[in-house]
Amino acid sequence: MDGDQGGLSGRFAARTLFPGGFWLLAFFAAPLGLVIAVSFGTTDELGGAIYGWYPENYSRVFDPLFAPVLLRSVGYALATVVLCLLLGYPVAYYIARFGGRRKQALIALVVLPFFVNYLIRTYAWVAILSDEGVINGFLGEPVRFLNTPWAVIGGLVYGYLAFMILPVYAALDRMDPALIEAGKDLYGTELSTFIHVTWPTTFQGVLAGCVLVFLPAVGDFVSAQLLGGPGTYMVGNLIQQQFFGAEDWPFGSALTTVMMLFLLVFMVFYLRSAAREART
Amino acid sequence: MTRDPWKAPLRRRELLQGGAGLALGLGLAGCGVGNQEQASKEQTERVVEAKVDGDLVYFNWSEYLEPKLIKAFEKQYGVKVRESNFDSMQGMMAKLRSGNRYDLIFPSSEWVDRLRKANQLLRIDLDQLPNADTVYDYFATPWYDPQADHTVPYAMYATGIIYRADKIGDMSGSWNDMVNPTADGRAFLLDDFQEVIGAGNLVSGAELNSVDEGDVEKAKEWALSVKPKLRGFSTDDVQNMVSGNAWIHHGWNGDVVNIRNQVDKPENYSFQKCSEGIPLGTDCFAIPANAEHPGTALTFINFILDPENASKNIEYMGYPMPYTGPDETFAGLVKDDPAINVTVEDLESGQQFENLGAEGRRLWDRTWTEIKAG
Repeated sequence: MDGDQGGLSGRFAARTLFPGGFWLLAFFAAPLGLVIAVSFGTTDELGGAIYGWYPENYSRVFDPLFAPVLLRSVGYALATVVLCLLLGYPVAYYIARFGGRRKQALIALVVLPFFVNYLIRTYAWVAILSDEGVINGFLGEPVRFLNTPWAVIGGLVYGYLAFMILPVYAALDRMDPALIEAGKDLYGTELSTFIHVTWPTTFQGVLAGCVLVFLPAVGDFVSAQLLGGPGTYMVGNLIQQQFFGAEDWPFGSALTTVMMLFLLVFMVFYLRSAAREART
Repeated sequence: MTRDPWKAPLRRRELLQGGAGLALGLGLAGCGVGNQEQASKEQTERVVEAKVDGDLVYFNWSEYLEPKLIKAFEKQYGVKVRESNFDSMQGMMAKLRSGNRYDLIFPSSEWVDRLRKANQLLRIDLDQLPNADTVYDYFATPWYDPQADHTVPYAMYATGIIYRADKIGDMSGSWNDMVNPTADGRAFLLDDFQEVIGAGNLVSGAELNSVDEGDVEKAKEWALSVKPKLRGFSTDDVQNMVSGNAWIHHGWNGDVVNIRNQVDKPENYSFQKCSEGIPLGTDCFAIPANAEHPGTALTFINFILDPENASKNIEYMGYPMPYTGPDETFAGLVKDDPAINVTVEDLESGQQFENLGAEGRRLWDRTWTEIKAG
């Protein structure tokens, strides 16, 4: 199969990978290497990172102090995934099945908020939710929305909902509608057809959506920073603080590296599931 | 078997070889993380004349200097001002460290001390600045620049408690007003490790800058006891007060002026300097060692020091500048609540944020993380 026979043509195919490979090396592998290198370093008098061998940066990561921060981040991210699924699946379902000629336009609307920076959109929520903000202006009696865990989760759902809708939509759009008709022909109710036909067929899309929402949500710091209160400190905030407050890039890098390894577990789980699905 | 180039198997080694050179190049370039250029003493101690020597590359907090003055300077001297902004001292340092060249920066006093000791600041000869004679005498020997030959003070700030006089009845005058029961759930501490631990030190009667482990532990306990009553940690005291989310805010004096400019009833927004101690700070003009146009930078400093220009600037940014003459403009702005002002007496009796040293800073940073994560 390979070796001599595929030699020349293999080289040609390899060349087509260079632009993408270059991109990944320059903007992913190299910065990642820097993060890992800095994570073993220390700092100078002016807070600058210096390379070196200080593995104790890593032992600090496992301080029990950070366990509640990690648990909180995972909890918020899981709640975000569930809410995104509950909100996103019906939207994707409607667009895929009943969007008709307007399908493309509706999908464009889902993506439209991305034209505005996430930070700015989150600031808009501050104005909407604050005590003398838009919603409380209607309610009269002020309700405290802002600076609560709910506001943080809400901000995450708002920020990452499209990452759920798009893969689920793709899965639903690929699905042959005849399958649903077949389910109904076999005396399936609307619900049992959904449970036994539509859901399993689109499950890989749902899983992809869950991973795409969970990964950025667990590392997010903007939502907790702007919408959160004193008790909503997330891993992202902890890492951000090491870089912008504590002048401790090495410790921030060690936290980042450990966090990436932790998230890699979820990624590997997802990739194996997707690979299994592709084989069947 | 197949000749189709799209289907031929990829060979790992080919890809790796192609990428190896590139990766090496990037890896070497990456060594630039800490490559601070070491300037020699002769280079930083030479006398620079206040003569325009090119466009001004200006690096400051945003909205911290009247833009009309920048326009006027450009017009008067026929140069461009190329402005960029930082949003924290650490952000400013990161840009300096990665080799960016600025002509004028605005470090806080603590950072002046650190930059000066690392020989990163150019000498400023006061003889070149005729307008500098209005600067308070106090700044002839500031702790961060004992010879006053590397900086010119730009603005002063005091930290205290900003509060809604119409919502909160009586304030006790203490830092413990942070837990005033009327403001339960509407109080914010500054999201700033120095301010919170500094305030905690003052509450327990320690020195503002104490790095004694026992003192810092007590400061942490104070912050953790306040935390459950808080609505959050934030440095956006202006927005939190204007939006009505905060009734009590650990904040900076000049921001009260900015708040009052944005609300319908400015008289409802007051400032308390706390009885246990008033943390004070100074922001300065400074010229980095690698500045390309230090002459223009000096010309600009002298231009802002002009009493009329300084007065205009005070009205715009809302912080007091320590210059005799323009200080009356600030006093006029806050005449109904003189607590907002920072006077020479405050400078002499108050406590200033100082350089904690590497060890002390580490202790404070670790404690701050414990406060935030706890």
